[in-house]
Amino acid sequence: SFMIVGVVDKGHKAVLKPEDKLKISENEALEILKAASHGCRLDSFEGSHAIVNGAQTAWEMLHDEAMLTRITTSCTDLDNILGGGISCKEVTEIGGVPGIGKTQFGYLFAILDFCINLELLLLLRGNRNYRIQLAVNVQIPADYGGLGGKAIYIDTEGSFMVERAMQIAEACIKDMLEYDGLLRKDSQTRHLKMQPKELLGNIFYFRICSYTEQIAMINFLEKFVSEHKDVKVVIIDSITLHFRQDFDDMALRTRVLSGMALKLMKLAKTFSLAVVLLNQVTTKYSEGSFHLSLALGDSWSHACTNRVILYWNGNERYAYIDKSPSLRSASAPYSVLYNFAVLCNHASRKLGEI
Amino acid sequence: MANTQRNFMVPIEDLLIHDLYVLVALAEQQSDSERLKQGITQVLSIIDGQHQPWLNGMDLLEDAQQSKHLLSTGCERIDFLLQGGLREGHLTELVGPSSSGKTQVCLQVASNVAKEYSGSVVFFDTGNSFSPKRIEQIVGQLSDHSDIESNKLIEQVMNNIVCHPVFDIFTLLDVLHQLESKLRSQGGSKVRLLIVDSISSLITPILGGSGAQDTDLLVLCGESAGHALMISAGFLLKELARRHNLSAVVTNHMVSGEGGTLKPALGESWKSMPHVRLHLFRDSKSSICNMSILRHPYINLQLIIEDGWLTFEIERKYKILSSRGPPMDTKSKLEYRLKHWQPVASVGNNYLEQYAN
Repeated sequence: SFMIVGVVDKGHKAVLKPEDKLKISENEALEILKAASHGCRLDSFEGSHAIVNGAQTAWEMLHDEAMLTRITTSCTDLDNILGGGISCKEVTEIGGVPGIGKTQFGYLFAILDFCINLELLLLLRGNRNYRIQLAVNVQIPADYGGLGGKAIYIDTEGSFMVERAMQIAEACIKDMLEYDGLLRKDSQTRHLKMQPKELLGNIFYFRICSYTEQIAMINFLEKFVSEHKDVKVVIIDSITLHFRQDFDDMALRTRVLSGMALKLMKLAKTFSLAVVLLNQVTTKYSEGSFHLSLALGDSWSHACTNRVILYWNGNERYAYIDKSPSLRSASAPYSVLYNFAVLCNHASRKLGEI
Repeated sequence: MANTQRNFMVPIEDLLIHDLYVLVALAEQQSDSERLKQGITQVLSIIDGQHQPWLNGMDLLEDAQQSKHLLSTGCERIDFLLQGGLREGHLTELVGPSSSGKTQVCLQVASNVAKEYSGSVVFFDTGNSFSPKRIEQIVGQLSDHSDIESNKLIEQVMNNIVCHPVFDIFTLLDVLHQLESKLRSQGGSKVRLLIVDSISSLITPILGGSGAQDTDLLVLCGESAGHALMISAGFLLKELARRHNLSAVVTNHMVSGEGGTLKPALGESWKSMPHVRLHLFRDSKSSICNMSILRHPYINLQLIIEDGWLTFEIERKYKILSSRGPPMDTKSKLEYRLKHWQPVASVGNNYLEQYAN
């Protein structure tokens, strides 16, 4: 049993005199002390210069942001309008009609975050002169310069095809070997012994069949990511499928969805992950005409930090930045190829499209 | 009352039930009642510390004129619409559909206030939408110094803006309480502007209904707790604004209302919470955003432009007519008024001169 010597309040007046003895166990006493110090922490920060505990100034955040890597989309036009790629602290929503390539983006981020960074890709995708110039200017990274991260792929539609992922992984490794040969001719060559299976082995795949499973999964993600600290991207394909039907209580649906959105935001910020949500489109009637808009409507539209909409313009696929706090609204074309997921438009004409 | 030989003591129940002044008078009669008088003084000082004393109109006017300044937003037209800018002591709400410019206005106002006024800006971010890069851009645009000087200026301004990510309502309340006790104890650090972007994403998960299927928060708190938390957050922001002379800004999103139109989220009880409500909307696919006033303590009734007065008179005429005809619903009245308010933001300089004469 413990004896409490005395308890004082903020004004340093004794509230409990030493004569009072509390018969409590050691664990309980520690818990009380922890709670008390938590409650009194306001006093302990008088010396701290921060206005609010846990806040950062904008200047510090600017420098932190410069050091954050971005996940490239492997298409330079797209990367340009995205400011370098998908940001690793934000929730990005990608929406489009079926068949436009949303799932391709999903595969891409799951694999690319492991091995390739932007400079490397520019190197490989650019023309010959650009390549040589970059080879001279670019700092050779200590390793392959990738994020070295794993990916979580949450599949609600069942559209993940392992064969396609394998295709992309093989193409990726081929590119890395090419880079290896190009850049390290002079310095010691490091032999790449990576197999496509290893790349696929870095993807954690979850199959979700109902909305309760989806809610459970999102709740579980925080624990999972804190145990697997090398996860760098979470892809959810597609986020809204299970909420479009079977929900009688619309108010409940709004609450659940907004709660989910907050949890994803918190996950992205706390663990510096890129969270990518793939969403379907639906038709909406407004101002006298039908037009396409993302599923789940206005209540879900504020649940992401950035939004990219994929659409057809004639025969070409385009991506448009619909919502972003720091990027301008812009469109960029892209294509889907058989030996790689996406590629810039100018090169696709030579290699042929899917 | 019990008398002992040495001290004049009063049982606690008497202290709580009887009138304090009567007790004081009684204590005065006894010669050795020092501790009682001390106790009464202490109780009175604790009560005064918790609650504001009575203020009369002159005190309030003096406070409004001397301590509650107008903060310019950095955008000329918004300043003109608001007759100077955001007022300290007010809670301003920006409501609008997705990507209508709410976060951009918040970032703009934050940059301008950090640059022009001494004191810091506190930004509570619920959607990871605080972009330091964008702030740097805006500050660069606002200042027109040479390159070397402007770098130092940017650093200084950005050090005045503090951002804290919040992902649930309890964290927000906790951090607001922290801020309040910090402001109360330290005279030095001054906060000019407080932004919560967006408060609706913190409140929508807990607002409304109860049931076995609900999220963990609601199951613990019960049905009306979400409502209570929303109101307490609003009151806390207003109290912070009033007592510490800062301006509070929150953003809200829109949900679908009757007939396919959009209405602000958070329901009827939140409507009367902010002092100023501004509605933002963007014409589809254009980059021009419009802002109109939904609610303001004093702007609607003033003769700021002739059009405004005209609207008021026509409303009165409608009121007379409607006693014979069908009742005029509030929606068409609001639409009519909104149509008249739109030109306010796009009025040019020559009109200003006319009005000044």
